[in-house]
Amino acid sequence: MKYIETSPKRLKTTFDSLILLIALIVFSQQKDAMRQGAPFEEFLINIFAPIQSGITSAHTKALGFFNEYLANINASKKNKELLKKVLVLKEKIFAFEELAKENRRLKELLQFEEGLSIKGVLAQVVGWDTSSDFKSLRINRGAKDGLRLQSTVVTAEGVVGYVYRMTDHFSDVLTILNPKNRIDGIVERTRSHGIVEGFSSQKCIMKYVNQSDPLTLNDVVLTSGLGNIYPKGLQIGVVTKIKRESYETMQYVEIDPAVNFSRLEEVIVLVSEKKVMKKKEWNVLDRIKGNN
Amino acid sequence: MRLKLKNLWAPLVATMGLLIFFEIISSTLFPIVGIQNYRLPFHILIVLYLGFRLETPYLSFLVLLLQYIHSLFSIEGWALGTVAGVLICMLCAYLKELLDFSSKMSTIFLTFLFQSLWFLIQGVLLYLTMDDWGYVAEKFWRFLPESFILSILSPFVFGILDFLWRSAGYNGSLEEEV
Repeated sequence: MKYIETSPKRLKTTFDSLILLIALIVFSQQKDAMRQGAPFEEFLINIFAPIQSGITSAHTKALGFFNEYLANINASKKNKELLKKVLVLKEKIFAFEELAKENRRLKELLQFEEGLSIKGVLAQVVGWDTSSDFKSLRINRGAKDGLRLQSTVVTAEGVVGYVYRMTDHFSDVLTILNPKNRIDGIVERTRSHGIVEGFSSQKCIMKYVNQSDPLTLNDVVLTSGLGNIYPKGLQIGVVTKIKRESYETMQYVEIDPAVNFSRLEEVIVLVSEKKVMKKKEWNVLDRIKGNN
Repeated sequence: MRLKLKNLWAPLVATMGLLIFFEIISSTLFPIVGIQNYRLPFHILIVLYLGFRLETPYLSFLVLLLQYIHSLFSIEGWALGTVAGVLICMLCAYLKELLDFSSKMSTIFLTFLFQSLWFLIQGVLLYLTMDDWGYVAEKFWRFLPESFILSILSPFVFGILDFLWRSAGYNGSLEEEV
């Protein structure tokens, strides 16, 4: 205490340097966004997240009230249209079920390994990242609902991201708009591979696509299944910009995500029944490189 | 205002409460009203206030605590903001005699200036990790409106913080202490 009183400036310099050093070390080690929350961190999130959830659900209820009772003039007309659509969709579902059965039969014939059974957990978005630079969102489902770290999050339109932090009742999802989220993507038409990374609040970029690959605008990009996080065949988005320079070996590809992130309210979390911690391919490759 | 550790806790807890309130507003209400691409980084404003206002050896520790609270609501984590915050607080300590908060305009101007420095530090660190100026440039176009609005709000927020820190042993506001 005497040291504090006699030389506060020296103490301040020591404190500043120490904390700066720790922060720089931690920042330089933050290669991967996924993290297992400390119990204290989980405790704090479990306190604050219900407030976020309360505000969001109050807004949803108010909006629902408005939509159901005040702005519902053409309800019966819409109902008839929707019933017709339901019939058409039922037929499609039947056709898809037949296809799924056929697919299963063919896989058995080819002696494919049975994939992990995956179930979907419906979750509501209760909050967004408070920094506009980092795109993540908070959902109202957690470990108690069967979610796991790295569980894939989707909507009917396509991929949203994966679970990177989790408590018992809430989870944080790293969206595909975040630069730290990398997906091995494949262009549906040309089967060209590339790594899709988040770039801004509205777009992603696809890296390492060969200059010779004949990509065109509006080509659909899907998850390839490589990378060990996302299942194969989920839609990431469509190609909206291509830049080819004669001196480059790769082309610059911009992707408009299939999911409309500005209107995201509910998501589906894909959870595998087996409790496995997926190892990212690049981590495995790094380890192999290290051993050699 | 020289502060001892024992005097810090009460206003610090109140400041953390204010930060949590702002973070909840920013993470829920902004998207609800349709503002998806912009957020007001209130944590920067609060750290800047501490840098402008406090003279305590534990300032960097306070910055760390506030950034930790911020990390509960953002994937950003605490480290990046702590580096920027501590560096800016060190700079504030050197320039303390030159900083003039006598009017709202000067408060707004200085807040904007130090936010720009914050952006610069963050931009360099992000560039070092991502090796992509394009991302930093894209961030800059979001930073401009966000920091402008935050600067305009700064006299009001600093007023609230002045009120909270009054209990720690000083009777004045940032504007009065020239």
